Amino acid sequence: MSQSFLSEKLEEDAPQASVPLKSHTKNTLLISHGRPPWYGQDGERISDAFVIGVAGGSASGKTHVARQIVKALGSIPTVLILSQDSFYKHHSPEEIALAFESKFDFDHPDAIDMPMFASCLADLKACRQTNIPVYSFEAHQRLEETKYAYGATVIIAEGIMALHDPALRSLYDLKVFVQCDSDLMLARRIARDTKERGRSVEGILEQYLRYVKPSFDNFVRPTATFADIPIELISTHTRRQLQERSNAFRPKMVKMVNSSLYTPTLVKERLEDDPNMMIMPSTPQLEGIFTILRSKDTSHQDFIFFTDRLSTLIVEYALQFLPYSPHTVTTPLGTQSHGKKPDAKYLCGISIQRSGSALERGFRRVINDVPVGTLLIQTNSKDGEPLLLHVKLPVSIRHQFSAPDTWVFLLDAQIGTGAAAFMSIRILLDHGVKQDHIIVCGAVDNEMREGWLEGDRGEGNEDGAGRKDLGYGTWYGSDRYAELLNFTACIDGRR
Amino acid sequence: MSSSSSAPVPPPQPSLQPNALSHNSTTLSDTIPPSVFTLPQTAQLEALYTIIRDKDTSRGDFLFYSDRIIRLLVEEGLNHLPVVKKSVVTPTGSTYDGVGFEGKICGVSILRAGEAMEAGLREVCRSVRIGKILIQRDEETTKPKLFYSKFPQDIAKRYVLLLDPMLATGGSAMKAVEVLMEHGVPEDRIIFINLISSPEGLKTFAGRFPRLKVITGWIDQGLNEKAYIIPGLGDFGERRYCE
Repeated sequence: MSQSFLSEKLEEDAPQASVPLKSHTKNTLLISHGRPPWYGQDGERISDAFVIGVAGGSASGKTHVARQIVKALGSIPTVLILSQDSFYKHHSPEEIALAFESKFDFDHPDAIDMPMFASCLADLKACRQTNIPVYSFEAHQRLEETKYAYGATVIIAEGIMALHDPALRSLYDLKVFVQCDSDLMLARRIARDTKERGRSVEGILEQYLRYVKPSFDNFVRPTATFADIPIELISTHTRRQLQERSNAFRPKMVKMVNSSLYTPTLVKERLEDDPNMMIMPSTPQLEGIFTILRSKDTSHQDFIFFTDRLSTLIVEYALQFLPYSPHTVTTPLGTQSHGKKPDAKYLCGISIQRSGSALERGFRRVINDVPVGTLLIQTNSKDGEPLLLHVKLPVSIRHQFSAPDTWVFLLDAQIGTGAAAFMSIRILLDHGVKQDHIIVCGAVDNEMREGWLEGDRGEGNEDGAGRKDLGYGTWYGSDRYAELLNFTACIDGRR
Repeated sequence: MSSSSSAPVPPPQPSLQPNALSHNSTTLSDTIPPSVFTLPQTAQLEALYTIIRDKDTSRGDFLFYSDRIIRLLVEEGLNHLPVVKKSVVTPTGSTYDGVGFEGKICGVSILRAGEAMEAGLREVCRSVRIGKILIQRDEETTKPKLFYSKFPQDIAKRYVLLLDPMLATGGSAMKAVEVLMEHGVPEDRIIFINLISSPEGLKTFAGRFPRLKVITGWIDQGLNEKAYIIPGLGDFGERRYCE
């Protein structure tokens, strides 16, 4: 019964269905609004991404179904549609020759790199970054480049063989088979391939009878037994699942900070005792700079100047926590000098917007040639939860192979509740960056203030806005991410 | 909360405090006069020096990395200036008891390598006045001779940051201090800032002016027969401007 429901639905939408059936750019990332926390107060991930597998015959409307699901889900943060087309195997020259003669069977399960498909999907399900292969239909070959994907709450894997592989099936939270009339599928296929791929009807029919139809009968249709749910049910089910997984993240955070265990004095003692918390030694100049930054009468110009001066010192200080190895050079006088050189394979900065950008100038004065990524995390005005709005990470973090060798300076001028920094660290850990390779640079706040992140409170300038609260708050993430190095110029006690 | 073995071992708390001394060599520490202060001798600082010592370092890198050291030196030098207690009101309405900077300063660079340090000084002290002094060896007497000097008029009332990147024999630096004192600047109001010193030069200089503070980034092995610092980094001014 549900089968017929889906079929009806599709027939109804059939005229539009041909629109999203574009030839080979089916991987789509849809973002409706920010991503709420996907980890608990201990920093550990509390739930996997929700994975839906959509299978069905060629031109049955899988992409359309996927889009319908997304549409019906409404305001679900981030949905990634992952197409099986990306996972065609790396072909040998002989196979490529066959492909150009239309004699290669692309509709056979063996044409798909199932282990790669499963591994990418497993990465995404576990909220890690993944590097999706790129397949070129023009060259009939997998390209060297990969496509970076990270941070989807819902992942829809679609393809004729999406339900074929047991390893793939075990990853799905929900399996969907799009049932469609064979005549209709063939009709759509002819329409699509003549229009979009410039094929002749004869050629299409030949291919259909030779590969598509047998493949459908042998491999695709049997997988229909694995699934069958109408879209309405899918979306309701998915929404409910996500609701259950959602966590009132921030209230717990706030409660923790306010609880008796975290009285200000205790917090302060803990912070200074924490071996990972480095507080810059106080000097007369540093105190003077802080006095200027705190004063409400400081001009905007002075504020920026002294922020730059302070951030330069912070980054210089933080740099000593990188690894160094012995290095000998020859001086212009011809003598040998035994010194050191930095030993970090990849180094980058990540600025948590907006306050992090106040530290960027200082960062650039000290490290001028490394990439600086950006994270934009806003506070949800409804429930006060942090929302991840924008992720732009340096290339060395995007790639799974290089992320573990990357050292990251996380720039955040003010750490208030720490919710934004906490989320940023989770993102880095999701990418496989090692905890002890993350160095957080900033000044710590001892009061709950994240309102400054909202643009309307500032003076239209990030430095001006940041200044409003500079200097009162607490950092509580350090005990959860024990190996993480925190570096800060000043910790204030609560007044 | 102890970090695992893979965590980087934090180096000993670096001392940016004015009274804390650390040396790159234990044998040197006995002979270093008390008026001499070095930057914290971290691996990171060592790496910076390694870059600027390398004869194959490009001019762009030489500029960038020597500027970083100079900035740290100037910041350290400024810590020797007095501050006074000062309370301010924060934008949140509370009072913060901090400190305010006290006393005017000016920079004096010993031409021409000293000029290279002016940019670093300006990055830390905007609109600071900078005087100049040219001292060269008098070929007849082989002693340093003053050729040119230009100072702010009220230099006698200011703290002076004397800038010269290399302290080898200390001859020209001592001559510069003499000139400053002739202009009415008290000895204890001069702070001499340099990147690399020789132990011999430091000893002579500090012996002559014990109340004058010397901030140096690194103390090298010594001087060769031509009175160049070893290992040193060559001619600072030459590398900075001409190569």
